[in-house]
Amino acid sequence: MNKILLIIQREYLTRVRKKTFIISTILFPVLYLGLIFGTGYIAATSGSNLHVAVIDSSGYFDKGIIERENMKDSSSVLTLVNMKPESLKVNFKNLGYDGYVVIPARLNWEDTAANYFTLQTSRTIGLEGAQPVQTKLNNIWSGIKNEKLGIDITKKTILERNTISLGTINVNDTTADSGVATGIGYVSGFLIYIILLLYGSQVMMGVMEEKTSRIAEVIVSSVKPFQLMLGKIIGIGLVALTQFLLWIAFVFIIYNVSAASVNSSAMGGMIGGVQKVFTSINVPLILFCFIFYLLGGFFFYSSLYAAIGSAVNEDMREAQSLSFPITMLVIISIAMMSAAMKDPSGPLAVWGSIIPFSSPIIMMARIPFGVPGTVPWWQLGASMVALIGGFIFTTWFAGKIYRTGILMYGKKPTWKEMLKWAFKKS
Amino acid sequence: MLYCQRNWRLVSGSLLPIDHRSSKYYTFCLVTVIFADNFFAMPILELHHLRKYFATQKAVDDISLTIEKGQIFGLLGPNGAGKTTLIRMITGIFYPDAGEIKFDGKTFDPINDIEYIGYMPEERGLYKKMKIGEQTLYLAQLKGLSRHEAMSKIKEWFDKFDMNSWWNKKVEDLSKGMSQKLQFVTTVLHEPKLVILDEPFSGLDPVNTNLIKDEIYSLSQKGATIIFSTHRMEQVEEICDHIALVNKGKKILDGTVKQVKHDYKENLFRVGFSNKLMAEHLAIHLFEVIKKTDHEVVIKLDPGFSNNDVLQYFIHKGLAIESFNEILPSLNEIFIRLVEGSPVTRQFQQVTA
Repeated sequence: MNKILLIIQREYLTRVRKKTFIISTILFPVLYLGLIFGTGYIAATSGSNLHVAVIDSSGYFDKGIIERENMKDSSSVLTLVNMKPESLKVNFKNLGYDGYVVIPARLNWEDTAANYFTLQTSRTIGLEGAQPVQTKLNNIWSGIKNEKLGIDITKKTILERNTISLGTINVNDTTADSGVATGIGYVSGFLIYIILLLYGSQVMMGVMEEKTSRIAEVIVSSVKPFQLMLGKIIGIGLVALTQFLLWIAFVFIIYNVSAASVNSSAMGGMIGGVQKVFTSINVPLILFCFIFYLLGGFFFYSSLYAAIGSAVNEDMREAQSLSFPITMLVIISIAMMSAAMKDPSGPLAVWGSIIPFSSPIIMMARIPFGVPGTVPWWQLGASMVALIGGFIFTTWFAGKIYRTGILMYGKKPTWKEMLKWAFKKS
Repeated sequence: MLYCQRNWRLVSGSLLPIDHRSSKYYTFCLVTVIFADNFFAMPILELHHLRKYFATQKAVDDISLTIEKGQIFGLLGPNGAGKTTLIRMITGIFYPDAGEIKFDGKTFDPINDIEYIGYMPEERGLYKKMKIGEQTLYLAQLKGLSRHEAMSKIKEWFDKFDMNSWWNKKVEDLSKGMSQKLQFVTTVLHEPKLVILDEPFSGLDPVNTNLIKDEIYSLSQKGATIIFSTHRMEQVEEICDHIALVNKGKKILDGTVKQVKHDYKENLFRVGFSNKLMAEHLAIHLFEVIKKTDHEVVIKLDPGFSNNDVLQYFIHKGLAIESFNEILPSLNEIFIRLVEGSPVTRQFQQVTA
């Protein structure tokens, strides 16, 4: 026991003191946040403002209407021009227009079919480039149609605003909020997914370290192979936990900093959202379950990764090809997650959250929907017991493979071979 | 009797006056002496009929050995003989399929006894990116030393081998010779009773080889037992007192170096003369001439005749003898002779368990 602690300490300290750990702990949330805000910012401020000339042969569009619409919507500028299409085609670029539209005479407000016109441009614009112009034209056209049909402002308002929206409430659990639950579910499931993949492969490489440095035999003459494997897994698990907690702390700091300086509306909205989160879900339970499933899933998968790491001969490609089935299991779980969240009480969700392979991700996605509202206690219990049983089994299994594989050089490992080692008498 | 008296005091702790002598006293002394003798004569390692079979190989097939305390024991054998498997069973890495291992008189306990064993495997290795001082400390603690003890011993050894400047360097910064020195230190740091060295000199230059050799001697003098596994027979002759030769999983030789050489001697002698040798000096049934130069001859003594017969013959012939030596076979020759005949490379066998 003492020796396992020594090994855990060594594995933990070696990794936590590495520069890459500090960098990735700080960089990851920064990059992620930067990505979210950055793209939003860029999307909002960029987007070319198209200047489009309009030749109207139909007579419906007049300068006044167009000017008014230009004032309302500045994402593009339409200008009515009085030219022949042929001459405009040659000159529109020199006149300062990015493109022009010819509205043909056949346009009729009483038509019941759609109209297709063309925006002629001097350069190829992107897929959505015509969108602002199209919207503006349709706004103008809507106004014209309404006027012709005799629909005044009041009628228009009735048509547009008098709609029906549905919100959801679970009679058994009135605090549950699907929107929030889905959000939290996604985030938790995704976090677990990332940590499992990232640290699972860390465990695999950590195990390979003893083989590549050829120190396996020396260590195994001082401790039992099982102790070494367990120490490595727990040590790396603690590193994962530390990194995760640091991320949480980081995000928490950012939240508090921005809460103190609520000057931008975007921030205000986000903070309001966060407050809502805390009221509609059971935070301590979710936190507890998150830690449980994170650790449970980690131990479950990392034992398997450890077994693979001990079997391969320093070749990363061999390791990757052997670990492919395991990685697929994790990826399948995350793919199942969206389907499970559409129907959190359906059979896919229920079974997915009990079977140990997918339970860390699926159960964590379900829990924010409400315990015991959506997730009955017995399901939660069964899932936890299954996960514990699962990782005890995989750890035992991996231990058998590890003790043989760690000293074996040169033999090409396959899953069949490894199964043989697992069931060999020690 | 003085020895007896001391034992009596030690064992009973009583304050009986020294000149109290009754028959009971003497009997007790005798018993104590016999007990003490047996206790201190217990071998450090006893292997009884060990077997270890793998799917394709009978790696160790009924090997029994006894190694006494303080010996420098050579474990020899060709490649694939089963030495490494045998060593791994002694260090608790493998468990034997059959047979018994006794360590220091008791059944070998792989969990606790390994703290008294130091093992330097043939595949050298240390964590490449870990700092040297830290790593030595880690390995020492894994062997059961407390942090404090480990630090003081490390200091001792680093001073002895002049390694103090290495403390914060990484293992990957060291040359091969340096890393072997380091590995040797990590092997013996916890003052094990039994030290197992598998090819300790491979890749070392003569200076470092000497350094390690001196350390082996000094460890042996301090009471440690050394098992030394190698192919380099010259080193074995020089260093070991007792050897065992294994081949194809079986033991084919076991004895002291001297005894083995005598067992395999071929009655060869080298005789040197001041006079020039003539053909008629050598025409005699006492011996067979193997090699001849002007002043020296290598002869093979015929059975039934002794050294003195030969000497007397030469003296009788009027030759002045300068030197007379027995040529004992080198371990290298014995090794090749015993192992020749078995296939050069290890064969795979079908093993039915």
